[in-house]
Amino acid sequence: MVGLSLGEKHFIQGGIDQNLRSDGRKRDAYRPISIETGVIPQANGSARIRIGATEVIASVKAELGRPNALQPDKGKVAIFVDCSPVAEPMFEGRGGEELSTELSVALQCCLLGGKSGAGAGIDLSSLIVAEGKICWDLYIDGLVISSDGNLLDALGAAIKAALSNTGIPRVQVAAGASGDEQPEVDISDEEFLQFDTSGVPVIVTLTKVGRHYIVDATSEEESQMSSAVSVSISRKGHICGLSKRGSAGLDPSVISDMISVARHISEQLINKLDSEISAAEADEDEM
Amino acid sequence: MASTGGGAPGTYTPTPTKKTQRSSFFSDSDVDWLRPDGRGFHQCRPAFFRTGAVNSAAGSAYAEFGNTKVIVSVFGPRESKKAMVYSDVGRLNCNVSCTTFATPVRGLGSDNKEFSSMLHKALEGDLPVVISCASLALADAGIMMYDLVAGVSVSCLGRNLIIDPILEEENFQDGSLMITCMPSRYEVTQLSITGEWSTAKLNEAMQLCLDACSKLDKIMRACLKEAASASLD
Amino acid sequence: MEFVNPEGLRLDGRRPMEMRQLRAQIGAVAKADGSAVFEMGNTKVIAAVYGPREVQNRSQQINDQALVRCEYSMANFSTGDRRRKPKGDSTNIACENAIFGCTNHWFMFVMCFVMANESIRRRSTEISLVIRQTMEECILTNLMPRSQIDIYVQVLQADGGTRSACINAATLALADAGIPMRDLVTSCSAGFLNSTPLLDLNYVEDSAGGPDVTVGILPKLDKVTLLQMDAKLPIDTFENVMQLAVEGCKAIANYIREVSFAREYQTAGVSTWLVVHKKGIRAHIQAPTLAWLLLDFQLSSHHLKLVAYTGVATS
Repeated sequence: MVGLSLGEKHFIQGGIDQNLRSDGRKRDAYRPISIETGVIPQANGSARIRIGATEVIASVKAELGRPNALQPDKGKVAIFVDCSPVAEPMFEGRGGEELSTELSVALQCCLLGGKSGAGAGIDLSSLIVAEGKICWDLYIDGLVISSDGNLLDALGAAIKAALSNTGIPRVQVAAGASGDEQPEVDISDEEFLQFDTSGVPVIVTLTKVGRHYIVDATSEEESQMSSAVSVSISRKGHICGLSKRGSAGLDPSVISDMISVARHISEQLINKLDSEISAAEADEDEM
Repeated sequence: MASTGGGAPGTYTPTPTKKTQRSSFFSDSDVDWLRPDGRGFHQCRPAFFRTGAVNSAAGSAYAEFGNTKVIVSVFGPRESKKAMVYSDVGRLNCNVSCTTFATPVRGLGSDNKEFSSMLHKALEGDLPVVISCASLALADAGIMMYDLVAGVSVSCLGRNLIIDPILEEENFQDGSLMITCMPSRYEVTQLSITGEWSTAKLNEAMQLCLDACSKLDKIMRACLKEAASASLD
Repeated sequence: MEFVNPEGLRLDGRRPMEMRQLRAQIGAVAKADGSAVFEMGNTKVIAAVYGPREVQNRSQQINDQALVRCEYSMANFSTGDRRRKPKGDSTNIACENAIFGCTNHWFMFVMCFVMANESIRRRSTEISLVIRQTMEECILTNLMPRSQIDIYVQVLQADGGTRSACINAATLALADAGIPMRDLVTSCSAGFLNSTPLLDLNYVEDSAGGPDVTVGILPKLDKVTLLQMDAKLPIDTFENVMQLAVEGCKAIANYIREVSFAREYQTAGVSTWLVVHKKGIRAHIQAPTLAWLLLDFQLSSHHLKLVAYTGVATS
């Protein structure tokens, strides 16, 4: 991990106390964000996002599958994250597995809503092709290429961008299949359905260092955190998921405060991401 | 793998029948329905704790919440095998295993790595029980802690909040919230939320959990005191 | 299947001796000591180098030279079919299907995964080894005793020739990290389909089952460091195919040199270049970022000036 001397630690903490962080940012400021879409041509949708020196790629692949017996009217979504050793030698071999799992679980918790599917950022019922028989399975893969803190927010944003870049082929279901038979399908090569991503929440992680919390922490700052709360917030300002990391306990009132701060920050972040995503899509169309 | 064939009864798999249950036990506008085990919405399952369940461990605890039964054993503190360099903090290793008969669908708890994420899903509802039980086992092992940790979860079904949900209820939940906290310090150590929540609802659910945690803490403390006085005698 | 049509064009419209478009970018991973992205057509690879640094596992330390390690990994989305990950997790949806659907399928699912995963794992180990050996050959390991150099290669898109792309990316990343090398290793593959030698096979051509010759060379020293072939070929045809691959390697070497010169110009700044220009090249081996570059390259001062002005070398 990050090896810091005592002096460096004090410098980081002191900077946060005085609202002037090591890279000149304020506590509530993000590093520059840039988004590129369509970076993986063989996927249905993909995006690369850079936040400072953190870089992640998200890809969305759609495959036809069978809906769950419990929820015959809904498609399925699975999220996996992989931490490439390119980003950090520590991720070599199985070293990245623990972090990958933690990030995957946190993303599932933040984006997929409750068990019944309520509050999910992705409208699962739009993925159904033939009720109870055929649905789209979305495989969302995140890959961390360069890591300098704030991976969860970056992955969340990359997935949001990749989903808005996703086109799902139109499917014709052959009529006449009766009973339990699996109907035949015809997948269109030309017609694609755009995905509605207005409901996909953004993730804002507040990292608590000392008495203050900061957004978009670098890995040096993360090494000094006592705990971090990641809140996923929809455009409407609803909380869609929350997870806490770090070992230190937090007072419940602090958590409520963090949630309201995160909600405030999410408004700016959503606008920023929207404009970046539409700029990226425009760039891609031009090419 | 599941059915043994030769006329023997097949495995009981409750999932298909549940599908029809939803309408009978829950609907959005419904404010008053009976929970499957007859509890009130804000009523927890009866909690039972006992320390010293495993003799060979440094500390152990057994917890029973309704049909959820958990044993936690603690080994150590001992020399870390993984420590390559000097470290001024200790390491806490945690390993959760599920017996093959722990869930309605047999074999979910196989320790094959491929199942780990399934296991995690299956464990969701029981996690607070496991955590509470683990903190009791740590106390039993005599490991110094800031406070006992108690965990409680609530499920959101439609407009209702139900505390300490059982698996059957969780399958239909719209959202869930789990808090683990240190009641006497009034600090939250773990919080995880899924599903969509408004602020008011969130605060209500958190408060509900925190109250339940402090009650659970009393039960846990009573159990520890009991064990301590028994060993004195 | 027809891989070369009567007009002499391949499936993707290339001529038999034509390479796919090359693209390279140095410095993609901020935290690494050296990194590069290398693209050959649709094949895209990212490589990062960490080191030379202290040996992490003391028992692996070598007292008279550097320890070179390499790990190759493929992104889940790198191939057309979404690859099932060897380690855990990805069976999630399949699990649900199996459990809620039919329990007998479940067994087959698991078996398939286990088998597929095993071959994937073996393949990555093999490629890691090939890259490591190739790079070890050209790094001046004796200059950095008791230290460790890690090369991590991540495939983002796989469309044939990943092996070659990995080696080329690793070379660039090592150069970016300023690690002293004998030469810039480059690699390229060639095949033989429809009785025509074809340069730089893409995925479709690669999976046709014909011979695939992967060559790695040290272009300045004119030595072959890597030679791999599957399937069989008559010896005289083999020589032709291999010669074609070697030509490909040389073309890549030229490209890589252009890219790294452009980069050196950016990072070293004009003043350094002027010094180099005036005093000649050999004298400046000690300049750390230039060291690798100047060891073996005999360049005219005219050439250097050209680089300095345009940022692109035309050798």
